[in-house]
Formats: sequence, C-alpha cells, structure tokens
Amino acid sequence: MSCGALIHRDRISKSVVLLLALPALILPAAALGYILWQAAPVLNWHFIFSSEEGVGFGVTEGVFAQLIGSLLLALMACAIATPFAVASALYYRLFATTRQQQLLSAMFNMLQGIPPVVFGLCGLIVLVNLFEWGVSLASGALVMAVVVLPLLMLNTLAALERIPQEYTEAGMALGLASGAIIWRLWMPRSWVNVLTGLLLAMARALSETAPIMFTATVFSGVVWPDSIFSPVTTLQTHIFYLAQEANDPQVINIAWGSAAVLILLVAIFGLLARLLQKWGRH
Amino acid sequence: MILRWWLASSALLSSMTIVLVIGFLLHSSWPLLQQQGIAFIAETEWYPFEALYGMLPALLGTLWSVALALLIAIPCGVAAAILCAEILPPGLRGAVRFGMELMAGIPSVVYGLLGMWLLIPLLESQLDLLTGRTLLAAGLLLALMILPTIMVLSEDALRGVRRSQREAALSLGLGWDVSLWRVLLPQAWPGIRVAILLAMGRAMGETVAVMLVVGSIDRIPQPFYNLLQPAQTLTSRIGREMAEVSVGSLHWAALLFCGLMLAMVAISISLLAHRRVVTA
Repeated sequence: MSCGALIHRDRISKSVVLLLALPALILPAAALGYILWQAAPVLNWHFIFSSEEGVGFGVTEGVFAQLIGSLLLALMACAIATPFAVASALYYRLFATTRQQQLLSAMFNMLQGIPPVVFGLCGLIVLVNLFEWGVSLASGALVMAVVVLPLLMLNTLAALERIPQEYTEAGMALGLASGAIIWRLWMPRSWVNVLTGLLLAMARALSETAPIMFTATVFSGVVWPDSIFSPVTTLQTHIFYLAQEANDPQVINIAWGSAAVLILLVAIFGLLARLLQKWGRH
Repeated sequence: MILRWWLASSALLSSMTIVLVIGFLLHSSWPLLQQQGIAFIAETEWYPFEALYGMLPALLGTLWSVALALLIAIPCGVAAAILCAEILPPGLRGAVRFGMELMAGIPSVVYGLLGMWLLIPLLESQLDLLTGRTLLAAGLLLALMILPTIMVLSEDALRGVRRSQREAALSLGLGWDVSLWRVLLPQAWPGIRVAILLAMGRAMGETVAVMLVVGSIDRIPQPFYNLLQPAQTLTSRIGREMAEVSVGSLHWAALLFCGLMLAMVAISISLLAHRRVVTA
C-alpha cells in the first residue's frame, strides 16, 4: 500500500470516530444550555433566596426552603456516613488480613452497585413504618447515608493508598502505636484527599432523588422542618413533582429554575472537590 | 486495642448493611413466594387487585430500555474516549472531559425533566405518536445518562495502555485504525468492560428519570420488540406504586420482590466487574 493511501485511510477512520463521538461533544453543552435558557425567566436572587408558600398548587415564589432541605439532608447523610466509612477504610489498611480485605472491598463494591431506589424501599419500611420515625429528615438522612457510604469508604481508601508504603513501614519500625500512625502519619498526608471524597459524596447526596422520595420529603405544606422527625421539602423532589403534575407554563418555569439551582449546587461541590484535589497535589 | 475493636466493629457494621438489606428484602417478599411459588416471574399479567403479579412486562421493559441505552451509549462513548485519548490536542481534550464530568454531575431528576418536557414532545411530533411516553424515550434518556460513565472510564482505560505498546505498533508500521483495533482497544478492553458493566448497573437502577418518561403501563409491547409503546420497568413500578401500597399486603411483597430482583442483578454485575479488575 502506498503512503498516500495509508494516510487517506487514517483520515477516514478518524472521521468515523469523530462522527460517532459527535453526540458526546454536543449534547452536554446543548442540555445545559437548554436548561439555563428555560430557567432564565425565573432565575434571580429573589427566586433562590426567598421562600413563601404561594397560592395554588405548590407555586412557591422561591426555592430557598427546598435548597436548605436538600443541603440539610445531604449534610446529615454525610455526617452519619463519614465515621463509618473512615473507620472501615482505616481498619482495611491497618488490621485487616488479606482475606478480610477482599471481603470488605467486595462488600462495598456490591453496596455501591445496588440501585438507590432499593435503599429507599428498605428505608420506607424499616425506618418510616417499623421504627415509626415517619416521613422525616431522620429517615431520609439515614437512607442517604447508606447510599453515600460505599463512595466515601472507597474514596477514603484510595486516599490512604496514595500514602507511600515506606512511611507506614518507618512508623511501624519506630514502634508507633496504631493511633499514632493514624494521627501523626496518615492524617497530615491524606486529609485533603479524604475531604475531596467528602465533597464528592455531598454532590452525590444532593443529586439523588429516589431514596428520599418516600422517606423524607413532602411536596408542600412544610416550609421549615421543626425537628429531625418532621418532613422536609427538597429541590430534587420539588422538580420531580412539578415536572409530573404541572400544566401551567409558569409552574414549569419554576421547575426549570429549580433544576438550574440544583445543578449549580452540585457543580459547586464538584468544583470545590476539583480545586482541593489540585491544591493537594502541590 | 480499643481502637482496633472500634474500627473493626464499624467495618463489620458497614459491610453488614448489604446483608441486612438483602435479608430484609427476602424476608418481606417471602409471603408472595410462599403463596404463589416462583412461576409469577414469567406471567404477563400484573393486576395487584386480583392478586396477579406477573413480572414479565416490567422485566422486559427493564431489559429493553437498558439494551437500547447501551446500544447507543457504547459506540458513542467509546468513540468519544478514543477521540479524547488519541486524537484531540491536550487543550481540547480537557474541555471535552470537563463537559463529560459536568454532564455526569447533572442529577437524574433533571434528566427526567428534560425527558418529559423536551424529548417527549419532540418524539410525539417527529414520529407522530399518540404518546411520547415510550420505551424509546426511556432508552434515549438512559443513553444520555450513562454516556459520561462509559466515556470517562474508557478514556482512563485507553490512557492506561503502556507507551511501549503504542511504540511497538508504530514501529511495525501499522496504520492508525489497525493499531486502534488490534492493539489499543484489546489492551484497554478490561477497563472498557468495567465501564460498560457499571453503566449497565446504573441504567438498570435509574428510577426517577425513567419513571417520568416510560409511561408506566404494565403491558408487554405488541409485538414484543415494539419500542414505540408505553411500558413499565422494575424501578418505575416501585416508584409509582410504593407510596400507595399498604404495608404487609401481597402487593407490597411483590414490590419488594421487584427490589430484590434489582439488587440481585446489581450484585451479579458488580461481582463480574470486580472480578475482572482483580484479574486484569
């Protein structure tokens, strides 16, 4: 084959790849652009930072209550899951035998694969009905904690595994106790990466809807939760109900607006995690 | 010593979550299994009020929507990964990857909103359908949702191919397409396989977005490959009916059985993916 034909063939195959990849290049921008365009009529500071129970079917003037509800749920979920995730990762690195390590990582990988709606189902029955916590912040936070637990644990583990083995070996050779190894050796070197994992878990908790749909949220009637045993409203479920029920274009605009706010919120946590990761590398 | 016990008990408790969940699902759906055997999995009629709990329509719906999503997302996602890893200059590569990560971060309920108020009217007007709420809509939406997973993980896999392998292909005078098919893709395949498996799990378990676009009608499409009809998936059934069902009834047990099936398939998928990572 001549050189020219080869180059020609290269060009054809590269064009085929480009053509196939085209949707992946266009769609993210298109989807995001469409959402922002639809949200534009309602999106302003007043929309984000006010919350008044409006007239009629959930037509609230703002989404601040929903925003706080989403954040509260995600924060509580991470607060519940973090100690367990970090402790599991530490046990994995410090004490677990090879067999236990295999078992632990298999368990957490399986847990990560299970669809969140299944946890929501279990939460509805065990927490809401059996324990009689009701549809509440507490039930939702616990269910969400189980959803983010594997993510947190695997991220913490990855952070610990980035510490050079020599450090740990040197510490052990000096006869440091396990507590000292954790606090003096591992903590200073890995807290940035652990925190990055935590931010990613927050982003994940903010974007899940299925697990809290039955366990934590109501559509309207509640603005601020009084206690951890009262229901909340969240951005995710707000969008869901509005998308499903509304016929009024005004209401749909509110749904698009809420979607834009939610994406912004998730993006903030994602970007913070990215920045932190970059900063940690230096 | 105290530290060790504390860590061990936390690890034990966390890893036991999955056993608890499965055990609980099994325990709660047991009444249904006891009463109706296992044959209802292959039955076609789901009428909870007449105690008919045929699982076939929802199983078929899940199968079709996931298959359609994979069919679209695999070629597209892998091609985008090849484009990023092999063709584009570093600056553009970063931009495309950033776009993908952004897309991966869009919550599923927002995809549902897009599906319901953009995709469905579009399908209705373009294909002249009675209702746009179809398996096709669910498949397209799921494809969009799993695209980032496939692309990002496949790109990592392609980047992980050793330099020496590329150099060997070059020195043999292989063309770009030959070295792609014979060297790069086979070398990256374990990673791409994991990407596909994870995406499949995600597509199968996706609830809210699918619920909004699939139509939620418990009927096997006529004929069974007709994707332009409303259908039901396992997740959309759980989402639709869970809020209305009374605890302890057979209907409730049937919904929990749907959850159990989802969990079992998800566990098999993650075992498959995990095993390959270990051996690769």
